[in-house]
Amino acid sequence: MPHKYHVDFIFFLFTKMRQCLLCIVLSICVLPTAQAVEVIMNTTNSKELTQGLKNLRSIFIMRTRYWTNGKKIRVFVLPDNNVVHKAFAKQKLKMLPHQLRRTWNRMTYTGTGQPPVTVDSVAEMLEKIKHTKYSIGYIDRRVEDEKIIFFNVQ
Amino acid sequence: MKKLFFLMFNNLVHTLTLCALSFSVNAQQVDTTSDVELQQETFNWSALKKTWEDDIQFHGFFSQGLFHSTGNNVYGKSKNSVSAGLTELGLNISYHALNNLSFAAQGLYRRAGESTGSAGEVTLDFAFVDLTVLNLSDTRIGIRAGRIKNPWGLYNETRDVAFTHPTIFLPLLYFDRSRGMLLAMDGGQLYADYNAAIGDFSFKFNYGYIHDQHNELLIAITNDPTISGNLESDPSLFTQLSYEILGGEYIFAISYADLHLKYQNGETYDPYSNLKIHIYPLVFSAQYNGEKFSLTGEYNIQWNEFIGIEGRPDRFAISEHWYIQAGYRILDNLEFNVRYDSSVQDIDDRKGQQFNQLTGLPAHLTFTQDWVVGLRWDITPTWMIRAEYHRVHGASMLSIADNPDTLNVALDWNIYALQVGFRF
Repeated sequence: MPHKYHVDFIFFLFTKMRQCLLCIVLSICVLPTAQAVEVIMNTTNSKELTQGLKNLRSIFIMRTRYWTNGKKIRVFVLPDNNVVHKAFAKQKLKMLPHQLRRTWNRMTYTGTGQPPVTVDSVAEMLEKIKHTKYSIGYIDRRVEDEKIIFFNVQ
Repeated sequence: MKKLFFLMFNNLVHTLTLCALSFSVNAQQVDTTSDVELQQETFNWSALKKTWEDDIQFHGFFSQGLFHSTGNNVYGKSKNSVSAGLTELGLNISYHALNNLSFAAQGLYRRAGESTGSAGEVTLDFAFVDLTVLNLSDTRIGIRAGRIKNPWGLYNETRDVAFTHPTIFLPLLYFDRSRGMLLAMDGGQLYADYNAAIGDFSFKFNYGYIHDQHNELLIAITNDPTISGNLESDPSLFTQLSYEILGGEYIFAISYADLHLKYQNGETYDPYSNLKIHIYPLVFSAQYNGEKFSLTGEYNIQWNEFIGIEGRPDRFAISEHWYIQAGYRILDNLEFNVRYDSSVQDIDDRKGQQFNQLTGLPAHLTFTQDWVVGLRWDITPTWMIRAEYHRVHGASMLSIADNPDTLNVALDWNIYALQVGFRF
């Protein structure tokens, strides 16, 4: 028969362990909700339009259509219901996916503009930006690649 | 002892959960990396793609509605029955040939109750060349020539694209009867965009000829279903100034149109041969698009002049249409909408009594009040389904083609509607 003291000690130990475990589990559950987003561009882009919220928003609602070097901006996006797209709209553009969609639909179905090209995955986005001149898009992490530069929203 | 075993078991469960969680996180990371490597091999072809291919885009939309009503018909024989009388199908192409030159065209198939016949109609919805004259970082000025959609209120330009408006039935100020008059114009458009620090301004000015192929408007004006001629357009204009804050969180717009139509004889002797119509509406629009909540209001005051009908005095009437609509997003892809909508054909005869005395037709052909509740579910970014209910008081919105017995239209009636939509 174990002594009552031991039982109490083991109980104490388990309680502490449980608290620790709970903390770990909670932090794992909470962390992924703050979805990371990085705005990326092809290195061929002119270097003047690479920062600022107003510029970024203007590019994605297709009101700014050309880089300062005169080349047409190639905009790539993920589907409206993609978590990275939602995070991009909220965190980087300070907008909502349905506001973007409204603007894009309007130009698409009146012929007054072309909406961004939709890609299916982050991996495809990364490839498109690497291999399309004058392009801009976003991914869910920071990567080191000589063909990619980052847009500084601040 | 029991307590000890219980605790051990309890912690085992916790540990297992933790393992499972970290495993799934790791698995995700592994997946994405291998994905990237895989894509690197398969996507290299895109570098070889010709640039002109990137400058052409194809898009389209489709919707099908299902209607049941009591009292009156909407989009076919829906009264005490079910009608599938509204189908919209559009395909478009746009080509950015040069930095300042682009082309766009859209074909539309539309079947909307008796007014288009059961086979429906195919039309060229828009087709124009777009030349940007001035292109600065904050300002863009240009002209478009060809057939151009008319900017009027928040929804007119995309009125046939189900995805772009929140309910199946557009608000009453976008009258289906006037659709042909409002839709598009053969002529030119001057446009200017200015992106200021306080928001984005857009200005559009259309000038040209409207092409109304349907006689619904003509029959409504003359109250003569046997009329044999057509309406033809004289030079008319549409113009709109809109202002959007924070990428469209707040939208304000003022639209004005000045429309001139004249009657083209059907028979050699025709009492309407000198009929001239002058309509000039002014619309104020405001919209808030929040994360969960949205609020829209539009007010249209419209001046109408109908002159030259033999044996009848010239008519001058002011119509008034307005609505207020609230939306709530229960989920990102599930939206509830409620709207109160009001339409009066003549503000000096709001109850239609003078109209009734003059024509012998029911007074309620001159007004409509409509309560709408609807639910929209965007199943995927390309598929949407929605349902709505209308409690209607009045009958001015009715299509005469669907309700030929104008003497017996119902005053209080209901509409139940369902619609599925697709876009790409």
